[in-house]
Amino acid sequence: MVAEITKDLLDAYRKEISSYDEVLDAGGAFKPHWKKLFSSLGAMGMDELKNRNQEIKNKIRENGVTYNVYESPDGMNRPWKLDPIPFLIEQKEWQGISKGLQQRAVLLDLILRDIYGERKLIKDQVLPAELVFGNSGFLRPCQDVKLPTQNQLVMYAADMARGPDGRMWILDNRTQSPSGSGYTLENRVIVSKVMSDMAKDMYISRLSPFFTHAQQSIFKVFKEKTESLNVVYLTPGPANETYFEHAYLASYLGYTLVLGDDLVVKNGHVFIKSIDGLKRVDVIVRRVDDEWCDPLELREDSRLGVPGLLEAMRKGNVMVINPPGASVLENNAFNAFLPSACRYFLNEELQLPSVATWWCGQEKELRFVLENLPRLIIKKANRKQVFRSVYGRELSAEKLAELKKQILNNPAEYVAQEEVSFSTTPAFVDDRIEPRFAAIRAFLTATPNGYQVMQGGLTRSSPLKDRFTFSNQYGGVAKDTWIVSNEAEIIRDRIVLPALTPHVNALSSLPSRSAENMFWAGRYSERSMAAATFLTITLNALNFQRNFGNTNKSQHIDILLKSLSHLMQVEPGFLGEEGEEYLKDPYPVVLDMISNGEKPGTIVSSTESFLRAMISVREKWNLVTWRIIDLIENITNKFKNPGADLQKSLDKLQTRLFTFYGIVVESVPRTNGYYLFEAGKLIERILSKIVILRSVFSQKTDRFIENELLEAVLMNHFALVHYRSAYRSNLETEYVLDMVLLDKQIPSSLVSLLDSLSYCLTQLPATDDRLSAAQKAVLSASTRIKLVDIHEVSRPEHRTMHYVRLDQVLSEVYDSVLSVSDHTTNLYFNHTSTQHSLNESIPGPEDEV
Amino acid sequence: MKFRLIHKTQYKYAGPVSSYHSLACVMPKSLPQQECSNFSLVISPFPDEISQRADYFGNTVHYFSIHKPHTRLTVLAKSLIETRAFTIPEQLITCAEVRELLANSLKNKLLEYVLPSPFVYWDDEIRNYARDCFPDDEPLYRCARRLCHKIYSEFTYVPDFTTIYTPLKTVLKEKKGVCQDFSHLAIACFRSLGFAARYVSGYLETQPPPGKPKLQGSDATHAWVSVYVPGMGWCDFDPTNDVVPQERHIVTAWGRDYGDVPPLKGILFSSGGHEFHVAVDVLPVP
Repeated sequence: MVAEITKDLLDAYRKEISSYDEVLDAGGAFKPHWKKLFSSLGAMGMDELKNRNQEIKNKIRENGVTYNVYESPDGMNRPWKLDPIPFLIEQKEWQGISKGLQQRAVLLDLILRDIYGERKLIKDQVLPAELVFGNSGFLRPCQDVKLPTQNQLVMYAADMARGPDGRMWILDNRTQSPSGSGYTLENRVIVSKVMSDMAKDMYISRLSPFFTHAQQSIFKVFKEKTESLNVVYLTPGPANETYFEHAYLASYLGYTLVLGDDLVVKNGHVFIKSIDGLKRVDVIVRRVDDEWCDPLELREDSRLGVPGLLEAMRKGNVMVINPPGASVLENNAFNAFLPSACRYFLNEELQLPSVATWWCGQEKELRFVLENLPRLIIKKANRKQVFRSVYGRELSAEKLAELKKQILNNPAEYVAQEEVSFSTTPAFVDDRIEPRFAAIRAFLTATPNGYQVMQGGLTRSSPLKDRFTFSNQYGGVAKDTWIVSNEAEIIRDRIVLPALTPHVNALSSLPSRSAENMFWAGRYSERSMAAATFLTITLNALNFQRNFGNTNKSQHIDILLKSLSHLMQVEPGFLGEEGEEYLKDPYPVVLDMISNGEKPGTIVSSTESFLRAMISVREKWNLVTWRIIDLIENITNKFKNPGADLQKSLDKLQTRLFTFYGIVVESVPRTNGYYLFEAGKLIERILSKIVILRSVFSQKTDRFIENELLEAVLMNHFALVHYRSAYRSNLETEYVLDMVLLDKQIPSSLVSLLDSLSYCLTQLPATDDRLSAAQKAVLSASTRIKLVDIHEVSRPEHRTMHYVRLDQVLSEVYDSVLSVSDHTTNLYFNHTSTQHSLNESIPGPEDEV
Repeated sequence: MKFRLIHKTQYKYAGPVSSYHSLACVMPKSLPQQECSNFSLVISPFPDEISQRADYFGNTVHYFSIHKPHTRLTVLAKSLIETRAFTIPEQLITCAEVRELLANSLKNKLLEYVLPSPFVYWDDEIRNYARDCFPDDEPLYRCARRLCHKIYSEFTYVPDFTTIYTPLKTVLKEKKGVCQDFSHLAIACFRSLGFAARYVSGYLETQPPPGKPKLQGSDATHAWVSVYVPGMGWCDFDPTNDVVPQERHIVTAWGRDYGDVPPLKGILFSSGGHEFHVAVDVLPVP
């Protein structure tokens, strides 16, 4: 049975094969390591494979694995694409490939050191001078910026693919801040959960030793610094295409995720601006490209770097991995000179060949390229220049002539590469298994014992048949990469981290910017919650009135709608003269208050602000949190659809926000970030409760209306049921106010909320043992509430029937609590100044990252 | 000649600046034709940190940072300069011969002054503008003088017409600009024809109109070009004044173009804009 299904699978697959295939040999027989996989797939069956594929998609959503595609309609946070079928490489073959990769890393490191050092390669005519002096990655200020380690190229990644003869070819070298290792890890996490039965009878190498090696070699540099090693992970920010990975790796490695803005250079050292002052940084693992690292010495218009960073590096006070300037190696023309550089430095032949490359700066090569243009791919030598690769075979005679002219005009700027055919590998496409071209990115890291290769990699297959586009920007699909063997992996070098590792986490402090995002995540989540809660109450009243009430709309509906406007502050609202018109037919305005994403204060825009704040501190939240965040995002998108059942969606939003709060309370460690989140949430909650109280209790109304309003207030404080059981009586203003202001049993009473807020503030870092300005403001607010005479404030003023005294108290408390927000901002988040250059008239950036 | 050189740069900020990082490239070089002594750099407010180093091109740069709130910044560089008249015996090596050497034996040494750089790039228009100054069989040195004379006589010195980011195309079309523009254009002309040329940043002592006293702060930072003539080495030319720099030109730094050697660069953190004022005095010392 099993065998038969496999045969069907295979026959279908076989028909599609047009070039060298990973699975089948030239005679059409299985290669042994794929045989087991296909037999597991056969046992699983296509229907089950479809299910698994869906499960993978769900996991990716839940885990928030995204890849931002610039200028795409999907825009930000596009889900990562992962194929359920892994890519297999046999262990023995991988060992050979690894040796080749290690040789390359050693070679590139030597070249890098030579280019920023003696430049023997140029003097001895191994490398043409143009490829250094005309290389846009050659950054002169980086000349004397060196790491204390022998290796300057600490991280290296290579893209490779198998040519028609079965050999691996190197397509591309990544030497600045290679991306993909985090996605590789996450691919493994997901595939091993969803597809574990596929690995039956196979031994798959583990990925984690690679990361341990990477960490270990950092620690080894600082062996004397036993206690206080501070490593940060520098990201360009949430808009970057691989931001997910930055947050993911920072959290996996236990490094603090920072933006350039979080760091400052002072007295030759780099510090992180954290909410408890400046903390020294020893190591920066960067994901910011070379030129953007230091606006003082490199790109003046960069807002992603740290001014003075190169100077701090020169003084030997900080290690930046990889050191800026490494992009010089990413020049496309280098491939042509690696074999001779390898002989020059290592006296060895290059083991892994590059795709055949001709640099047009040489006469003979230029002639060859011009004669063979139709079968070559033309690229610019300097990669940062905006120029898509041109396939000679796709050009008309006219276009070819044009290209020739272009090349002849400045030959040294161009390289040509052979158009090679890659191997195909099974991919799950449209519920079928089809052959697709694939390329693998391998990762290496420098250690004191040489370069270590990750036992796996990021394989990407082309989304279209017979095409070679793997880039995620163009829809490439990732595959988990399994290095497989018949025997259990012998853990050759068991890695023991030095004892100082545990300190790393303890020391990482909360950057001010993350702190601010935590605080605003709290404020926006509650802004959304407060609006959803009161909208539900108002809509219920409105619907009840319409369906069951009399035809004359009761006055309490108007008061609720006006209160809603006070709360949400969305224009147009139900206030003022204009508002009177809208009160006649409130539904369209209410709908706008919910679903208009363009206006601040609506449900959609508050929730989106909340989600943005969450994503900016992605690394602070655990996996369970992301699951609920995903659900909150789904419901937010529902609001945007016309004809959605708004009330049902509002209920869901409220429930999901409560779930989120619950997860936070139950699972988030009590660090500064937690208390800032809570403080933000509590401040917003107190403010919103007060707005409703002041609006509802502005004027004494008749008994019936008052009753409806009191009920709404109790519901807004989640206290109606409690009130009924406590008083078993009609709703009385005095009792209701007593409960929502002073009852400590009610978590949403003002007194409870103020006490909680006060507690949060005591947990945050203080400058001395005196009360902070924020604490004073809360103390004053809470004292004002506690000393209130309920009997007194429950009576309206005789002449006007306004609740003047109540309003007085509530407005004072409101102002105090509002000032808590300002004080917290001033104390912990310094963002009043922005970065400028003395030379302000700088043209805009031509190519962001 | 002896000069007291005073270069004062002042910035006034609209709002307080909380943090400032700067690179100053203002210390004159000591060369066979000029001697710099008693150099001092006075920065106000007093910097939290200052350090001196040689950059990639061998120029002296000072890095400094200020971390207390301030609304004004003054950078005052003072030195005593003694310059000497000098002449290099003129070599008659021709344009064609120089080109040949630069493409071969001199290539590795000089290539970065032949290739385009961030502020110096060219097209056919610029190359054609330069071409007739450089017949293959004439000595490069004379041709270089001819180009500088051409620029001097065809262009008008107009302050504030250009910024440092004005494309050379525009400068060539409008025939207006200041010393940076003329120098960048001259360098582009040289390089477009395969010669090695660099940018020189420095000062020029100006003389008051006849019969008038010299005004304080009336001198200026200046820029000119240097062309590599095999056998003579780097030879300076001032296209703005159509002269071969001598005792009144003081060299501070050189690089591929202005971008390598701006006198003062800075990154600041503030809430507003700024205005600035530069005053230079090159005062002859009797």
